[in-house]
Amino acid sequence: MKILSIFISPLLALTIGLLFLGISRKITARIHWRYGPPVIQPLIDVIRSFSQKSISHGPFFDFGIILSLTSSIVLIFFLPIGNFYAMTSGGLIAFLYLMLLGPFGIALSSAASGNPNSSIGVSRKFLLALAYEVPLLLVLLAVMTHFNTISLVEIVNIQASTGMAFCSWALILPGVAYFLILPAILGVRPFEIVSAPQEISSGPVAEFGGKHLAFYTLQHALQLFVGLALFVDIFLGGGTLFGLLNPIAGTVWALILGVIIFLIKMLIVLIIGLFINAVFPRFRIEQAMQYLWKWPTLIAFIGLVIVVLIN
Amino acid sequence: MDRNQIRKWLKNLGKMANKYSFHVVYFCTGCGIIEIPPSITTRWDAERFGIIPVATPRQANLFLITGYVSTKTLKAIIRTYEQMPEPKYTVAFGSCPINGGMYYDSYNTITSLDKYIPVDGYIAGCMPRPEAVFIGVTHLWKLIDMDKADGYKRYREDYTLYRANQEQLFGELGWPPLFQNEKYKYSNSQQTI
Amino acid sequence: MSLEILISVAFGGAFLTYFAGKISSKLRDILAVFFSLALVVIVSYLYKVETKFLLYNEFFGLPLVIRLNPMAWFFAIAIVSLSALAVIYSLSYMKHRERTDYYYFMLLLINAAMLAIVLSGDLVSFFISWEIMSWSTFLLISYNRNGALPAGIKYIVMSLIGSMCMLVGILSIYTSFHTVNISEIANHMATASSTYKLFLLVIFSITFGIKNAVMPLHTWLPDAYAESPSPFSAVLSGMLTRMGIFGFLLIMFVIVGAENTLYVGKGFFSYHSILAWLGAITIVIPTFIAMLQNDAKKLLAWHGIGQGGYMIVGIAFGTSLGLAGGIFHTLNHAIYIILLFLSVGAIEYSTNGLRDLNSLGGLFKKMPVAFLGGLLGICGLIGIPLTNGFVSKWLIYKTLILGKAPFLAFAALLGTWGTILSVFKFLHNLFLGQLPREHQNIKKTPLTMQIPIVILSLTILLFGILPGLPLKVINSIIVSYGFNSLNISIWGISSETGTLNMINIFTALLVVGSIFWFIFRAARKSTTVDQYDNYAAGAAIPKDKYNYTVEFYAPFYRMASPFLKDIFDVLYQKIAQFTEFLCDTIRKIYTGYIGDYVLYIILFLAFLISAQLKWSVF
Repeated sequence: MKILSIFISPLLALTIGLLFLGISRKITARIHWRYGPPVIQPLIDVIRSFSQKSISHGPFFDFGIILSLTSSIVLIFFLPIGNFYAMTSGGLIAFLYLMLLGPFGIALSSAASGNPNSSIGVSRKFLLALAYEVPLLLVLLAVMTHFNTISLVEIVNIQASTGMAFCSWALILPGVAYFLILPAILGVRPFEIVSAPQEISSGPVAEFGGKHLAFYTLQHALQLFVGLALFVDIFLGGGTLFGLLNPIAGTVWALILGVIIFLIKMLIVLIIGLFINAVFPRFRIEQAMQYLWKWPTLIAFIGLVIVVLIN
Repeated sequence: MDRNQIRKWLKNLGKMANKYSFHVVYFCTGCGIIEIPPSITTRWDAERFGIIPVATPRQANLFLITGYVSTKTLKAIIRTYEQMPEPKYTVAFGSCPINGGMYYDSYNTITSLDKYIPVDGYIAGCMPRPEAVFIGVTHLWKLIDMDKADGYKRYREDYTLYRANQEQLFGELGWPPLFQNEKYKYSNSQQTI
Repeated sequence: MSLEILISVAFGGAFLTYFAGKISSKLRDILAVFFSLALVVIVSYLYKVETKFLLYNEFFGLPLVIRLNPMAWFFAIAIVSLSALAVIYSLSYMKHRERTDYYYFMLLLINAAMLAIVLSGDLVSFFISWEIMSWSTFLLISYNRNGALPAGIKYIVMSLIGSMCMLVGILSIYTSFHTVNISEIANHMATASSTYKLFLLVIFSITFGIKNAVMPLHTWLPDAYAESPSPFSAVLSGMLTRMGIFGFLLIMFVIVGAENTLYVGKGFFSYHSILAWLGAITIVIPTFIAMLQNDAKKLLAWHGIGQGGYMIVGIAFGTSLGLAGGIFHTLNHAIYIILLFLSVGAIEYSTNGLRDLNSLGGLFKKMPVAFLGGLLGICGLIGIPLTNGFVSKWLIYKTLILGKAPFLAFAALLGTWGTILSVFKFLHNLFLGQLPREHQNIKKTPLTMQIPIVILSLTILLFGILPGLPLKVINSIIVSYGFNSLNISIWGISSETGTLNMINIFTALLVVGSIFWFIFRAARKSTTVDQYDNYAAGAAIPKDKYNYTVEFYAPFYRMASPFLKDIFDVLYQKIAQFTEFLCDTIRKIYTGYIGDYVLYIILFLAFLISAQLKWSVF
């Protein structure tokens, strides 16, 4: 079972991630009353990038992007997709720290390219990450304290029996706070500060071409997948559906249905996020920081206090 | 448009991907750029063909020279063209890049763009409407299918000629030659797309 | 191999090196390295040996004892091996400086004094070695005379205040229990009252808090680290400041005892809870102050303060996991902060003294070893998986979260994010970006400076992938304090509430990484271009001006700099100035005019006479 997950999870994550990128472009276009590219357009872009012969700024320029994509794939191993999970060593804390390696690798590559646009983009990326980490940490601590565990798999299993965490009285406020900061985590408007084409010429990826750009697109797809999947796992119950799947637990049907339910939940969250993305402009970085440290932090803090008082 | 014909994809993946994913360098070189924002926004949606503007030439494979080319802009155009990864395509708008157009007798513009960077195709008009831009793109697809959109290969083969033309216009260029010696020329076995 | 040989080699080696330096500098270099390495060999032979040795009977009527137990061995091996690396590094770094005999003498003397501190079995020898360490640190901090003297004076004044508090504590212990032997005091502690235990804990915590730079007693640290020579900054931050942690462990778990410390006071206002909160504040605020620094060594110094907070939180929380995390973090922090200071030292050596973050850049092309050292040091400081910092931080987080202290866990996790931002600024402004033309031909890093950097980088990865190696020793330390033992395997920790298995993560990263590396190599080969072939919107790159270093986090700088001033430094300076003003006013009694002195005598006699008349005192 674990061997199966090691092979299936990364492939599933890559295809679904690219598909979600395409779906987001299509839905944004439809909201704008135009047709939009086909859903497999990001895949075409990746193939085209691989076919190009580009430049490199040295060995660290190559190493950073490889490190980033590697860590995103290893992160998928830790993520319970439906009932597929390959590794549980270290729990949610190790997951959070591996999530750091992706942006760190890209930052290393971008800074090694010697372009100040990339450096500005990286500094904004880290500032935005600091800004959304404050409420995110409060939310995750509330969840971990409420369920009294640091393992992601256990959080999903507890929700299988007690219902979605988003609908429980203790965790409604952290859930709302997490939903408010989700656009910042995914990097969609109004928090599309990092890869702003018009302001800092696409930020960290200003010097990425050819295979580097292809690796970056794959990493971006995986980051989108992981961001959505974490929210679905922690607050919407992962691959379970109000306990309806408990009677057939353990069979092949349960596995497949679990994955499908998981993906449908991710799609719903993505579409709601896209409705905001399509109509909003971009924040400046200081506006983003002020917003993220005001309301989501306040809501998450109150949520954490409530959880501590309940337990 | 043959984007949904799976057999063609399986036969030559790279070529089809290059056709249906044109990332345009967002460099407004001349007066014709006024026609580009309408063609990429809602009314004449260019994104359904896979065309999208990107911020840096490193991520692009299509360069649109929109309108007349002054000598100051030509230096930036050459630098930008050389920073693009191969394979790359150039399309020129209007009559100014062909023979000088309205500014044929100006001291400050050039009359023939093809002497300095290779151009794959021209779109007539002063400026062409978005519909003309899309017809030009379909012609470019046909050229790519027939392997005739080889401007980047010409640049590599005849680089000494292009460089000589550039140096004759500017005197001292501020950057070293892009292709240093004979071994960078394409041989028949290296043509991948 | 016994303890007296160790102490005599340590102290004797220091003196011998000084006198050898008067003969020839090569002899002094060889002797310094020889004695440092000899100490490493001797300490490693003493593994798992528990002995005691009576050093000197009747020192003012008190016997001086040195002893070895797992805690002492752990700190001793860290001290001698890291000092040996610093001595090897100093061979090239101090080659063309003046007064180098004095430098090596002080370095080896500090090494010996730290060794004597951890080996001492009674409080008097502890105090003597503590004092030797303190003033030799002062002498070495003010080695570069001009800017370093105020830093040294600030250090020595605060350190002396701490030492006086410790002396008060020792005197009170002696009058209460009539012994200064540590194990005997631990036996007597059961009879002491709760208030007395609290008094002892607080008075010793002031000493060790000043040494370990717990907020609000941290103000000596940034200037001291920045102004001392780099190999000594490394030793200072790695091991010397952590003598405070050793002291905390000693007072909390050996002298007063674990079962007493954790029950002094009630609820939130108990000693260990307030200490944990002070540690949490020490994690958060200095890490964000570090983000705003422009001097590379000051940035690392503020991180030294911040990481000390992690150790305090781990130790003060009182569970075996937290204690293991805190002690392991001491070792890990020593390794990577020494590595980072040595990298900065390499840059100082090559660029003749520059360490300003605003004017350097692009040095990864010219100094690859220093860059790799800096990169691995930073990965360890952040706590990226596969480095040793990750394991110790994981232990601390797990115990805080499962111990129902989510706000402390929040402070600890927030510290990590502040660390990521500031060390990336450090790495980027020093090593990445564009290389200025004036630094195109800088000196290469010499071999004796590269060796310690490489050794420390490999140690970070080794302790990260196989954390069981140091954790076994730490487990025996925890068991000796009376806590539960942890279930430790060579590559991780398992418990019923969750396992950490570094070998899984390591294998996964390695396998997936090699797959992607092969895919990367198989794709179309890319041409390498130099830094001047960069995107600048079609324009030529303006050389030496196309780099982003000043105010690297400009929006955060604007938002936070009014709040992130070091108010304690200002407070202490104001107190010092007020004291000086007071004393200056009082000295005006001495006018130099003999008539005034006669007047004082007559006034005093008049006062005595009136006191006798009124109250009949005599």
